[in-house]
Amino acid sequence: MDISLILLTLQIAVVATVINLPIAIGLSWLIVKRRVRGSFLLDVLVSLPLALPPVVSGYFLLLLLGREGPVGSLIRDILGVDIVFTWVAAALASAVVSFPLMARGVMTAIEGVDERLERSARSLGAGALRVAFTITLPLAYRGIMAGVLLGFVRALSEFGATIVVAGNIPGRTQTLPLAIFEKVQLGRDAEALRLVGVSIALAVATILVHNWLLSKSRTKD
Amino acid sequence: MATENFIEFNIRKRFTGFDLDCEASFGPGVTAIFGPSGTGKTTLLNCLAGMAKPDEGSISVDGRTVFSSELKTDVRPEKRRFGYVFQDSVLFPHKSVRDNIQYGYNLTPVGSREIDLDHLVDMLGLSPLMSRNVKNLSGGEKQRVALARALAISPKLLLMDEPLASLDARFKGTIISYLKRIVRELKIPMVFVSHSLSEVTALSDDTLAIEGGRTVAFGPTRSLLGSPALAAVADYAALENILEGQALPSQDGATTSKIRVGEAELLIPAIDAAPGDAVMVSVRAGDIILSLEAPQKISARNIVKAVVREIHDLGSQVLVFADVGERITVEITPGALADLSLRVGSDVYLVIKTNSITVMS
Repeated sequence: MDISLILLTLQIAVVATVINLPIAIGLSWLIVKRRVRGSFLLDVLVSLPLALPPVVSGYFLLLLLGREGPVGSLIRDILGVDIVFTWVAAALASAVVSFPLMARGVMTAIEGVDERLERSARSLGAGALRVAFTITLPLAYRGIMAGVLLGFVRALSEFGATIVVAGNIPGRTQTLPLAIFEKVQLGRDAEALRLVGVSIALAVATILVHNWLLSKSRTKD
Repeated sequence: MATENFIEFNIRKRFTGFDLDCEASFGPGVTAIFGPSGTGKTTLLNCLAGMAKPDEGSISVDGRTVFSSELKTDVRPEKRRFGYVFQDSVLFPHKSVRDNIQYGYNLTPVGSREIDLDHLVDMLGLSPLMSRNVKNLSGGEKQRVALARALAISPKLLLMDEPLASLDARFKGTIISYLKRIVRELKIPMVFVSHSLSEVTALSDDTLAIEGGRTVAFGPTRSLLGSPALAAVADYAALENILEGQALPSQDGATTSKIRVGEAELLIPAIDAAPGDAVMVSVRAGDIILSLEAPQKISARNIVKAVVREIHDLGSQVLVFADVGERITVEITPGALADLSLRVGSDVYLVIKTNSITVMS
């Protein structure tokens, strides 16, 4: 029971992270490197879920993905399935809520790469895409990974948005935080505390790796 | 192959402090862009490189238009094939020396690889460093790697932004002699930015002096030196004569060494060099004393016979070009000029303390 609970929690957090990474890199690029018009608005948008109560993010998602919602109805027409109250919805909720943490980390990492290194590469004949893959991303790698882990750890602990859009269905959408909530509600303190222990262990491990990566990226130059 | 008007530009770019508004034609040799800091030198260089975009105007190199506001042409830097060297090297920190040098070489079409990589590495003395991590190199080594990296693309033009400014004297001389070798052997046109008249004099054929974004003087470096236009932006007393000499067998033991510069023999601070080795030294123009007679009973170790070739009276200071087989610039006061009644063709003695000579290699 515990194992499948942990696996589902990890699965949802991993999928959320995998969805977020390319978006975070792409948006960071637009904001930091290209400095596209409206960058400051994008910047606000990126951080918005951090400032909003997760319940609000979840409610937006519900409106979007629900049977009557624009995205939900479209998916139902094409695939014939509902997204809400599935693990996919839980992953999307985790993705939205954890996105700002990852994106801000990725942005800082990409911004931290000396622009003159990229200009050198350009002068040596490398196009923008090659510069990104051979210079910027390799040099920002540790910082990006730190952002990824921060996002991941947030996705692991996601509760508010998830319960709105995915419910709390054991074996289907119930993640660690939701399970703890349920045990507490039912007064099963011993089980709740055991899950709290698992939760703390996962969080501590992720934060340790995150800090190690950050310290590595600082001593690099 | 290369024409007299190798680079032609006429560009304007607006800034908050000043406007860059510059027009010139550079030959295929070595051109210095000279001026005080914050006058648009680097911006001009970056416009040539394609790293900055002029508001209007045009730039053509070797007959090819790389920028034109009228034609809406702006060739991207990676398509221009101009080598670019930064003041502080800016090597890729995650790559070895070899990978840094090969980065651009591998991106150069095989048919355009005119410079042989092994020869280049050999020429810049980099063979022993090839597998080293770039983080553990000295400033001079880093700059040599940066040069090799830029030259490995067989560039049509080499652009350098203050390539010597962050090096100490020892490494400066080494890089200057390497740069001279590159000019001699590879014949790649160069444009470099410098705020040091000494570097400009040591390296360039032509000089474009700019201040506040405008041209104040442009022409062959040798004839510009001493011109009133250049005097406005240059500090001649601090001008260093950067001289290349050959080591002579030393007799004095360890305290001094002897080198030949042109016809003259100079005693310099002790160096570790075998007879015949090239040695770069520098002497400030303001540190040299002119005398009409060979002084006696004097502590200065170098009393060198020379002929006055040119005298430039700039009002507050006077520049004298003395010939010892190499040109040495001496800065004196107008009063000294009057007292000595110096004329072009006068025989003089240059009095130089050994410790006024800085060894640069």
